[in-house]
Amino acid sequence: MELSDSVQRGLRSLGDESVVDHATFPALVDVCFRSLLSAGRDAGLLEEPELKQVEGVLLKRIHAATTTFILEAVRQNADESTISSCLEDLSFSSERIEILYSCYQVTSTSFPHHCLQPAHITDVSWRLQYHVKNGVVDKVNEPFYLISLNTENKGSPEDITFTCTMEQLQDMVGKLKDAAKSAEKASQM
Amino acid sequence: MEEVDKILILALKQVGTELSEEVGSVKDFTSELIVEAVVRCIRVIDPGLGSPLPTSLPPGMSARFRVGMSLAQACQDIGYKGEIGYQTFLYSSETEIRSLLMFLVEKLPRENAEASDQPTGKSAILQRAIAAAIKAQLVEPWLPPNCRLPLHGETQSLGVMHSFHKQPLSLPYCIKDPGKKSLKEVKDYQRDFLPPVTAQLAHNATVAASLLEQHTAELSVAQEWYNEWNSQGLLSRLTPQDYRARKLTRLRKRIEEQLRSAALPPTESAFGGLGATSDLSDILQSFRGSAASAHTLTKGSHFTHSQKFTFTQETEAVPSPARRTDDNHHSQQEELASLQQQFQQLCSDVDQLTTELKHLSVTNAQVLDEFKQRERQNNELEEKIQLKKKTVDLLPDAENNIVKLQALVEASAQRVVNLASQWEKHRAPLIDEHRRLKEICSNQDMESSKKLSEIKVLHDKIRVSTEEAKKKEEIHKQLVTELESLPKDVSRAAYTQRILEIVSNIKKQKEEITKILSDTKQLQKEINGLTGKLDRTFAVTDELVFKDAKKDESVRKSYKYLAALHENCNQLIQTIEDTGTILREIRDLEEQIDTENSNKTVANLEKILEDYKAIRQENSALAAKVREG
Repeated sequence: MELSDSVQRGLRSLGDESVVDHATFPALVDVCFRSLLSAGRDAGLLEEPELKQVEGVLLKRIHAATTTFILEAVRQNADESTISSCLEDLSFSSERIEILYSCYQVTSTSFPHHCLQPAHITDVSWRLQYHVKNGVVDKVNEPFYLISLNTENKGSPEDITFTCTMEQLQDMVGKLKDAAKSAEKASQM
Repeated sequence: MEEVDKILILALKQVGTELSEEVGSVKDFTSELIVEAVVRCIRVIDPGLGSPLPTSLPPGMSARFRVGMSLAQACQDIGYKGEIGYQTFLYSSETEIRSLLMFLVEKLPRENAEASDQPTGKSAILQRAIAAAIKAQLVEPWLPPNCRLPLHGETQSLGVMHSFHKQPLSLPYCIKDPGKKSLKEVKDYQRDFLPPVTAQLAHNATVAASLLEQHTAELSVAQEWYNEWNSQGLLSRLTPQDYRARKLTRLRKRIEEQLRSAALPPTESAFGGLGATSDLSDILQSFRGSAASAHTLTKGSHFTHSQKFTFTQETEAVPSPARRTDDNHHSQQEELASLQQQFQQLCSDVDQLTTELKHLSVTNAQVLDEFKQRERQNNELEEKIQLKKKTVDLLPDAENNIVKLQALVEASAQRVVNLASQWEKHRAPLIDEHRRLKEICSNQDMESSKKLSEIKVLHDKIRVSTEEAKKKEEIHKQLVTELESLPKDVSRAAYTQRILEIVSNIKKQKEEITKILSDTKQLQKEINGLTGKLDRTFAVTDELVFKDAKKDESVRKSYKYLAALHENCNQLIQTIEDTGTILREIRDLEEQIDTENSNKTVANLEKILEDYKAIRQENSALAAKVREG
């Protein structure tokens, strides 16, 4: 796992016993994790009394470096050996590594997912209409499809309805088949 | 043979044959087992051949016979070269079964070979992981929402939707230049007012995205600087700060040149391009400060200002008719017209002032020149006057003065010569010193360039070895995971050990055989030699004794004894040879007995008789049925 200079410097100060002592370390780690998960928008997060011991600017730098480190670890799905080897390179003592890693394990699954998921189609109902005549033309004789897609969006069902001619429906079915084929091909890699 | 059997049994188990734990070697295979094993192997090797074949023997004898024939045919189709027929399956012998099974197991397609052929690169691993994840997701069935367990969270119901947007963050970083101290105000701001990183943005998700993006940007900047420094920076032999400063000035100059060249040509271009370039000229104006303040004209920008003003005057007439066609901007047009008028006036004022300035400066320069000239002339005339005055003073005492002057002239000439020689004396060592220092300088240059190339080579080596180390670590990790996923029941080390032992044994045996062969040859040669000797000695003694036998009676007797002795010894030798051959035959026959014993011929014969009787019964039953119906 590669870390940039500023992150390394911040983490070194975090591991340095003269800057962050034993009592402050777990509190600081806890604050960093919490700020990433839920309490992020609370600007007073770093004003807690246990963190008064560390100087203001340095505290913010450590906070930024630690949060970046945590995010990188989550992004690369890092296992214990990678994280501990990284922290050992930055001269962390083994107990601090353990504290950090236990917090990481507890919270690593609850990080927000970064994927744009459109609605999930679960069902389809259709109706075929046949236009025989209309007021302007005597013989029309065209079929029309009324399709209603039952989708599920965040647990609540929604309906998407539309009409299409036969060619448009064929086009859509062809595209769905193409999509299925390319998904199969991607899984065959 | 046990190891072979173990391997065969293992391979057959993998194919799918059900083998109980008691089956230790090929000897224990029953006919049903043999048929099942063979059919399964054939099915794996060639599904087309194998599908019509049944895995178990049918009860009827004729059906069994047919199955045996088809199996034999299938094996021959696959390529088995040995003798094979229905008897190999129904009345099996150990060696035949062993060779057939070995042939089939070798023909089994190697699944493991495919896995090891796959490229082990980072992108290949990533793609394989993606493919595996997609496959898993495709295979999962859809469950209605009431039946879902929390396990299915990701794929069935939707998580919180976020898109990956990033926003700029303001981070309390250390300053880049350790020499410069950051301003006190910046520090105070960072300490008191700057919110912590996670609180700077509106959404929690964008925090993560922005932090990751920032980090990756820093990493890539560091990487690029490292690459550039190693390729060009070291060559330029400057310190990093100087290198950076030089690069910055070069970039600034290029930007200025580009902007200037982009701003100049529009005087020649057609109408279409004027809109964009007049905007560019506006931008340039805003760069250099507003045009209204004529006092801020500095010397350096004098040229650009005049340029600007000349072409803005020409182009400003053109955009206005284009804009007047738009009726909606009528008031704006009026404002624009008035502003432009003002601007025009200011421009003309500035022009006038500049021309006046020009004039004045030119006249100033002229006057200064004249003044300098006059001064020079004055100085020259003064000198001439001084000279003439002196000569006039010296005129009354003309002769003495002439002598004095001549002496002076000679003395000064002498001094000049003296000084010249002294100068020469000083010059030589100084030139030597100069040459020596130049040589030292060039030597040092050469050394430094050599050291630079060495440094480059070392850098390359470092880079290459770190890359190799990383690659090897990755491969190591991959292989470890692959090793864990491999089946654990085949211990290859034991097999390789045994194979090596057997090979060494065979080598030793070969040596012994060659020794024995050479011994045998030696013995045979001795025997030949001895028999030859014996014949010759007998012939000689025979002749000798026979010659004397005519005269003497005892010699005749001894001759008879000699002949009898020879006869008997020959017979002895003959019987010894016969014993040897008979012993060899005995050994051969014993071997044959062993092989025939393993064929289980008796048991097979009994079985064959029984089956023959069974077939006859079936035939008669069928014939009876045919007759009835």
